[in-house]
Amino acid sequence: MTITQSLFYFLAFVAIFSSLLVVTAKNPIHSVLYLILTFFTLTGEYILLNAQFIGIVNIIVYAGAIMVLFLFVIMLLNLNVESEPQKTNLMKFIGIITGGIGLVVLTAALKSTDPSNTVVIQEVDMGLVKNLGQVLFKEFLLPFEIVSILFLSAMVGAVLLARKETK
Amino acid sequence: MSSIIIIAITAIVVLYLGLYKVKSALLPVSVLGLLGAAASLVCVWDKNISYFNDMLVFNNYAIAFSILLIATTILIFLLSGNYFEKISSNVAEYYTILLFALSGGVVMVSFQNMSMLFIGIEILSVSMYIMAGIKKTDSASNEAALKYFLMGSFATGILLFGIALIYGATGSFNLVQIAGKASEQPLLFYAGVIFMLIAMTFKVGVAPFHFWTPDVYQGAPTLVSSFMSTVVKTAGFAAFLRLFGSAFTSVPAIWTVTLVVMVVLTLLIGNITAAFQQNVKRMLAYSSISHAGYMLIAILLLGQASPNAILIYSVAYSIASVASFGVMVAVKEQKGSDDLSAFNGLGRTNPVLAFVMTVALCSLGGIPLTAGFFGKFYIFGVAIAANYTWLIAIAVLMAAVGIYYYFKVIIAMYLRESENSESIQLSLAYKFVLIFCIMITILLGIAPALITNIL
Repeated sequence: MTITQSLFYFLAFVAIFSSLLVVTAKNPIHSVLYLILTFFTLTGEYILLNAQFIGIVNIIVYAGAIMVLFLFVIMLLNLNVESEPQKTNLMKFIGIITGGIGLVVLTAALKSTDPSNTVVIQEVDMGLVKNLGQVLFKEFLLPFEIVSILFLSAMVGAVLLARKETK
Repeated sequence: MSSIIIIAITAIVVLYLGLYKVKSALLPVSVLGLLGAAASLVCVWDKNISYFNDMLVFNNYAIAFSILLIATTILIFLLSGNYFEKISSNVAEYYTILLFALSGGVVMVSFQNMSMLFIGIEILSVSMYIMAGIKKTDSASNEAALKYFLMGSFATGILLFGIALIYGATGSFNLVQIAGKASEQPLLFYAGVIFMLIAMTFKVGVAPFHFWTPDVYQGAPTLVSSFMSTVVKTAGFAAFLRLFGSAFTSVPAIWTVTLVVMVVLTLLIGNITAAFQQNVKRMLAYSSISHAGYMLIAILLLGQASPNAILIYSVAYSIASVASFGVMVAVKEQKGSDDLSAFNGLGRTNPVLAFVMTVALCSLGGIPLTAGFFGKFYIFGVAIAANYTWLIAIAVLMAAVGIYYYFKVIIAMYLRESENSESIQLSLAYKFVLIFCIMITILLGIAPALITNIL
């Protein structure tokens, strides 16, 4: 087993373990902290795949900005066990069944998929910033520009909803 | 492409007009911009132009649906009059967000690449989350916005997951290339298709993913609900058909069973629940679920006639919905409620409004001599061509249930007495929109050939 492989298995194990803890942790703050750990392990996986840009962005945006927001919201909301809505056993049962069916479908799909040419990365340098920029500004220029409408709409909406009515 | 640019620029101009407080110019500028966008689409008819590495392809399908979306938006804008001013003073932003939403809708009907589909759906959805919540002091509106946002973003996540799986299986976002490679990577591809199916049926409000629809339609301001049930739904179905009709045709067996179950569930739940509603707005919300069921039949049984059937159904449904929501806005403004009892005696106090509502509801129910009849007729035609007679039997039965609850409103308008006999005063633009909708409905009910063969 090469170093890369053993690193991959280690990171994958930590990622799965910590994301299970996100769901099962009783304390929401712990939950968020485990989520940060999950993001860090995923960043490690991205870097193993030589996808540097997405690895860095994952750290900056998710582990940095969004997780801080998460923590703030949880602290401001003051969540605790009493205020949690209780789920009935029927709800839990239905949830387990549907989630389980989804898991079976995805596992079956994944198992039958051979690592064919489309899945295996052809160029090792594909995820570097330079190559990503070239794809983004050549092939995917239109989606890149159209996204600005989405952001503008969201910004106008955020101001609209947050502004105090003078009436 | 130029239509998307024109709509986006109009939206920004409207935003600036709001900044300089020229309120009277908002509506004319928006309508002019939209007319310009529609004209630019008419100019490229039959040209089949593709833009930026096949990101968007404006074939006749895309143009026809884009024009329908733009026309519906113009009608809703003309209805708005001073509706938004009663909610708050920031009217310009409302027009801007609706225009942005429309540009997202045009992207959705003309995409050829799944990244554009995703962005189009997001532009439309994010704008709608905001518009659902613009009545900030009304808790029903807040609830609608939050519910729509949470469930919608969940569906977006599922959509993205589906796109990622399909990309993993085929190595492409382009619909044509996906269709070419679909046979090589079956299971991962199938899982992706099912995920995308779930997300798309959520966006158009099909059972069992319909739970948000009644609450959101009822909580949102009525004019916004009318935008949701016409523009959002039409764009959703056009994108749905474009996606499944061009990329996933080679794998029908995997999603036919799922879709058949969804169609039957949608027809049953939508129509039977609507029959029990006492609130007209909520009833129209459930009826919009049931209409999604009829339109889904054309997607389920993909055929030559499917695009046309969806187009005719969308035109009939959009026009009739605009008219019926318009009447409801007028009634609610006077009576302060949109319960069934608010419509009592409308036939005597406001014969024009009552007539408009009657024709619109007849069209929604599918009575002959209205456009809605031919909408259902062509959808059932698709089903007959595919030998799904049992499905038509259910659909016809449910259409009969539909006529029952639409006629509840008509009976209330003509056969019940009202408490006050004041008639409702309407502006000229308002009357124009209502009469125009009715004329189109009846015209297409008499001469459907005007639009049956354009695709």
